[in-house]
Amino acid sequence: MTAATVGIVLVSHSAELAAGTAYLAAQVSGGTVTIIAAGGTDDGDLGTSAAKVVRGLSEAESGAGVVVLPDLGSAVLTVRAVLEDHGDAESVLLADAPFVEGAVAATVTAAAGGDIKAVAAAAEEARHVRKL
Amino acid sequence: MYASCEQAITLVGDLHARPAGALAVAAGRFAAAVSVTAGGHTADAKSVLGVMGLGATSGQHVTVSAAGPDAQEAVAALITILTQATKVGGLLRNQAGCCSR
Repeated sequence: MTAATVGIVLVSHSAELAAGTAYLAAQVSGGTVTIIAAGGTDDGDLGTSAAKVVRGLSEAESGAGVVVLPDLGSAVLTVRAVLEDHGDAESVLLADAPFVEGAVAATVTAAAGGDIKAVAAAAEEARHVRKL
Repeated sequence: MYASCEQAITLVGDLHARPAGALAVAAGRFAAAVSVTAGGHTADAKSVLGVMGLGATSGQHVTVSAAGPDAQEAVAALITILTQATKVGGLLRNQAGCCSR
C-alpha cells in the first residue's frame, strides 16, 4: 500500500448531484479520500464544464492517479475532450459505472489503499451488484 | 502462514451505509479473502455494495470468514468494526472465533 491515495472526480450535469454524491461517498468511506465534485456549467446551469473537470483532475491528484466518474452521456464527451488536451492515460482513468454506486465503491476501494486500476474496477463492478 | 478463520456475532444495530463502508475499507487492507454472511446470503467484505446488499439488521446473526495469510487479523478487525460501528446500546453477544492453520 502506497502513501498516496487515488483521487476521485465526479462529473455531473448537476452541481447538487455531484456535491451530494461526493458527500455520500466521503461519509461511507470515512473521509480519507479526495473527492472533487465537478458538476454543472460555469454559470451554474445544468450541464458540464471542461474548466471544472480540469480543475477537479488537478485537485484530486496526489500521486496515485485519478478515477473520473461521469453521470450521463455528454459528461463523457466533456471528460474525453479534457483528457485529449491534458490527459495522461496512466494517471487518469474514466470509469464506465453507475454514478452513485460507482462513486461509493470506488471511494471505499481508494480508502482501503487500492491502486488506480482497482479503484476503476470497483466502480465498474458496481454495475453488477443487485440492490434488492 | 496460511489460515482460515471464522467468527460470528449478533448485531446490536443495523448494518447501514457507513458501517458497511468502514467494514469494506478495513477488509480491503488485508490480503486474505474475507466474506460476510447474514440471512443466508454471503458478500465479499471488500465490496461495500455487496455488504450493503446483505441488508443485515439489528439482532441478526452475522458471520465473518477469512482465508489467507492474515485471516486471523482480518476477522478480528472486522468483528471489532461490526461491534463499534453498529453499536447503538446494549451488549454485543460475541461468540468465540475459530481459526485453523
